[in-house]
Amino acid sequence: MNAPLTLVIGILAFICFSNRLWSQGLDGASVYGKVSATSGDALVGVTVMLKNTGIGAVTNTEGRFQISNIPAGSYVLQVSFVGFEAQEKTLQLKAAQKAEVDINLKEDIALLNEVEVTGKSLVREVNEQPFTVTAISAKDLYNSTSDARDVLNRVSGVRILEEGGLGSNLSFTLNGFSGDQVKFFLDGIPMDNFGSSLSIGNLPINTIERIEVYKGVVPVWLGTDALGGAVNIITNQKNNFLDASYSFGSFNTHRASLGGAYTNHNNGFTFRGSLNYNYSDNNYKVWVPIVAGSNVDGWTEVERFHDRYQSGFVKLETGWVDRKWADNLLIGIIASANDQQVQTGTTMARAYGGLTRNSQTLVPTLRYSKDNLFIKGLNVSLYSAYNNTKSVIADTLKGVTYNWLGEAIYTPGSTNGEYISARTFTTMTDDEFTSQLNTGYVITPKHSLAFNYSLSYFKREIFDREHPDKPENQFPRSLTKQVVGLAYKFDPSKKWSTTLFGKLFLQKAETSKQFDFALPTQRTEAIEVTRNNVGYGFASTYFLLPKLQLKASYEHTYRMPLATEFFGNGLFTQANPDLGPEQSNNLNIGAAYQFTLRGDHHINLESSFIYRNSEDLIYQVVQVASPETYFDNLDETRTLGVEGSIQYLWRETLRLGGNITYQNITDQADFIYNESYTGTGYQRNFQKGYRLPNTPYLFANANAGLSFKDVGLQESALNLNYYYNFVEQYFLSWAELGSTNNKKVIPRQASHNLELSYSLNEGKYNVALECRNLTDARLYDRYYLQKPGRAFYVKLRYVL
Amino acid sequence: MFSINLKQLSLPLLSLFAATVFTSCDNDDDTPSPAAGESPFVLSLAVQGSDNTYTYYTVPFEDVMSGTLSAVGQGIEQPGYFDFRQIDNTIYSLGGLGDVNVVGITQNESGDLTQIGDVSFANSLADIVKADDNTLVALELSSTSDVVRFHTIDANTVRVTSTKQHPVSDITDLSAPSYSGMQVSGDHLFVSYYISDPTTYDTPYTDEAVVAVYSYPELEFLQVIEDTRTGPIGGFNTKTGLIQDEQGDVYAVSHSNPANGYSQTTKDGGILRINSGEMEFDQDYFFDVEEVTGGKNISHLMYLGNGKAFAEINTADNANQARWSDGPLRSAIVDLYAKTVTYIDGLPEHSGSGRRLAALHDGNYVYITVPEATATYVYRIDVANHTATKGAEVEANFVAGFFKL
Repeated sequence: MNAPLTLVIGILAFICFSNRLWSQGLDGASVYGKVSATSGDALVGVTVMLKNTGIGAVTNTEGRFQISNIPAGSYVLQVSFVGFEAQEKTLQLKAAQKAEVDINLKEDIALLNEVEVTGKSLVREVNEQPFTVTAISAKDLYNSTSDARDVLNRVSGVRILEEGGLGSNLSFTLNGFSGDQVKFFLDGIPMDNFGSSLSIGNLPINTIERIEVYKGVVPVWLGTDALGGAVNIITNQKNNFLDASYSFGSFNTHRASLGGAYTNHNNGFTFRGSLNYNYSDNNYKVWVPIVAGSNVDGWTEVERFHDRYQSGFVKLETGWVDRKWADNLLIGIIASANDQQVQTGTTMARAYGGLTRNSQTLVPTLRYSKDNLFIKGLNVSLYSAYNNTKSVIADTLKGVTYNWLGEAIYTPGSTNGEYISARTFTTMTDDEFTSQLNTGYVITPKHSLAFNYSLSYFKREIFDREHPDKPENQFPRSLTKQVVGLAYKFDPSKKWSTTLFGKLFLQKAETSKQFDFALPTQRTEAIEVTRNNVGYGFASTYFLLPKLQLKASYEHTYRMPLATEFFGNGLFTQANPDLGPEQSNNLNIGAAYQFTLRGDHHINLESSFIYRNSEDLIYQVVQVASPETYFDNLDETRTLGVEGSIQYLWRETLRLGGNITYQNITDQADFIYNESYTGTGYQRNFQKGYRLPNTPYLFANANAGLSFKDVGLQESALNLNYYYNFVEQYFLSWAELGSTNNKKVIPRQASHNLELSYSLNEGKYNVALECRNLTDARLYDRYYLQKPGRAFYVKLRYVL
Repeated sequence: MFSINLKQLSLPLLSLFAATVFTSCDNDDDTPSPAAGESPFVLSLAVQGSDNTYTYYTVPFEDVMSGTLSAVGQGIEQPGYFDFRQIDNTIYSLGGLGDVNVVGITQNESGDLTQIGDVSFANSLADIVKADDNTLVALELSSTSDVVRFHTIDANTVRVTSTKQHPVSDITDLSAPSYSGMQVSGDHLFVSYYISDPTTYDTPYTDEAVVAVYSYPELEFLQVIEDTRTGPIGGFNTKTGLIQDEQGDVYAVSHSNPANGYSQTTKDGGILRINSGEMEFDQDYFFDVEEVTGGKNISHLMYLGNGKAFAEINTADNANQARWSDGPLRSAIVDLYAKTVTYIDGLPEHSGSGRRLAALHDGNYVYITVPEATATYVYRIDVANHTATKGAEVEANFVAGFFKL
């Protein structure tokens, strides 16, 4: 064997074994094993602790656990699990020893009969933060065809407005805050920059562990300028799993999802990934006017004919977990793409047959976190990502338009485009860098501090192949945002917790603006806008009774316009360089109460009251006449709202729940500004005190679920779920003017969804059937933008 | 035990209940019914929202000379941008800025306004005019489109009966023609327009008046007629460039007003005539308006009868007008035959109202609305005496139409 070859083999061997060598080189001992019930069933989620050390682990889906890096010595291993008798075992560990300990837990019969769960789940702990927050565990929904959007739509105060079928635009409203006043996070990382192919509308439920919805005041560690609240989607955190699912159904909809993680417990090396694909023809039927020879010849049901959507994304992450130097050190990449036909603009008044858009996104990511870094109580996490998105909008047909029957209408000699008269083939290149640093320090158990810094830099370049000289496309567009937050948390007693915080918002935007429209001095110039604001607030919670929690929070805060609000989306959403930040004073007061009756009946009640005064509310303007929309500031608005929810659980068999939200958002401005050049200036606002147009104000949800174990086969489970959704009719325009019987409305809607799922082998094999919009009701969230009628879906899922 | 739990329940339950109460208090059904008895006056009120969009409410009123005129709880709602035209007993609303529909509004026996017909075009209509008692002609002429379309509409059903299409290049190779007036007289249909750059809104061609002539009812393109005695006909969205008297003579007004969209003025404003049955300008008729008014121009014109027309006249000469301001204006009665101008007394100088003239001719009176410092008011003008009386306050940001059904 020659020398170079030996060297190569040597290096390879070193690479292959080095992790192993390193981990063996440490003197840490480890304990591993399996926890099972007397029946032999593996127990999942059992806490295994070394008494008085704070070191421990939780069993995985196979009931296995591993505790590493234990200094040599003698220990007491504590194993406890709800419904089982706790066990303790004494251990003597030598340096680098690997001890296997299998544990058999005995069921605690006495306890099981009248179980009172005192151990708090993570969901419960999140819910008990002083912030107004709702955490929903997604686990119960893994067999359903839901995605993040469906889960959120069942939270009180939340309303998701959809423009159509799979892949259509979504807008999220939370207590009357809409658009992007509510920020979305994926594992604490802003989702803004993941691109349109990865959104709550296509994120499959199986990749999600839980979703936290913060209403109003948002904790500093999310570091956001969201002023309506925030939604934090926590993805599957398990270290070893494989979850594959495929669903298909009406409108030729196919969705496939594959997710998994592998972690080597010896060296902490981990690799996790998820792969998703969505496809739908969205050819559902809509009720539309048929125009023949310019006459509206009645209304009929037609299939949508130009609404195909497909998207896919790959998310890969690799690195180390649970090391001395890092709880997580992961590098990753997200690649996503979508491709979409465009059927309508912001109303269904016109159908398009040639308009398309697509985008491709690549996001490299870096994530690091460590609790107790250098000193006990100092927790640090850092996330950075770079995003590159290319999107194309194409309206290149000449002299062709379409009607709702899908027929092309040719205008001989005309070169007009379908949507834009002058046609367009626009390429937008967006680059964005985001970084977020969170540090927390626990001074004493009663006092802790948190510091957060987040930075985002967005840049867009636009090129229109049909009009390379378009003035507004010649200017740089960029947006730099920084948010610095500092919070102090005071927990004087177990009953009372308070957080005080301050936030600094810094924003710089570069864009272009047209001046002196239609005057001899009309010109487009580059402009630079810098805005700096300071926000502050507090959040507090107090347990009046062990199960009765009161919450109050107040915040004076700002929100910077987002890139899409500023710069538009290149198609139906127009740019508005005059858009300013909005500010608001938010007050939330809430109470939550849970109790158990006769052991079996668990009841959970929650209610909250919202008061908000907003200036320069960033608001999406939708006009019935135009397929276009844009964002503008509303001078002064006020929100008064109440919401309540109730949940009832009987054993593990029956679940009933419901919530109702009422929010009255009114215009409080005394004047409007007229800039038409005739009578330019402030004029009286004739709609002061009227409810905001095009915004739902009363909506409710209810659900019922039944679960049966061991139906037909051992280790099987059968679940039946029913969901009801109600939205009261609301007006497209301001509420009080005009005769109510001919005002443009988004009609009252009630929809019913039904789901049946069956799982085998303790959830390893699953099949689910779902019917959406059971009554085939005509559903609208936006004026005249009809959503799908009755649809059926089947989902198959395999979990390892 | 149960009773204690109920007590603990009370707080969250109360707030749940509160949600229900708040909701049930909120009731939008207290709509006042339309004014009892006859409400012959109909106003189209444009209300601007805090989101800078407009919504139009077409509302019937019994009395326009006292009190306040408001759309609260009444009227036909139309969000968007609309033009209103009354032809006989129907008000036609023409969608603009993206809206491509036309709806007729009529009054039923109980005084309620109802909508009839529903037609939808490729582009917004530039205008709609009466051709005969049963026929209307509508025009699509948009600066962003390369076709001109005529639609004939059955006035009784508001249905399109035929459509005729021509290339814009028939009438000009310049970019782009901007509509300013249309009349059907005998066998001819006349369309006036001026050239306005669709990007800068500059008007580099102001040396002559141009009118396109089409045959009627065939709607074939015949010719473009030109006249260099004055500048282009009509102005930005005033749509009153052409008017017609009882004999079928068509009068064309030129002003080149910066206040109505012109970036330059190269000819004095005046009125030309196309005699009934002809398809040329009458070389023997010219009403030199600037000579009579001392350099001021007519921006809006509405024919009344016997050669008399109601006019809105700019108080500033062209050199001193603020571009696009559509004002300040003075109201006057113009005699097309005698070539005289008589200003109305008792009416303040005022700015225009939404770029179109919203005026009602009813017997001896013309009604208009005038925006004043704090509010907009109705004025009733006595055509014979040239006097005006102030009437009701209008709760709208401007008035888009003033009608009587």
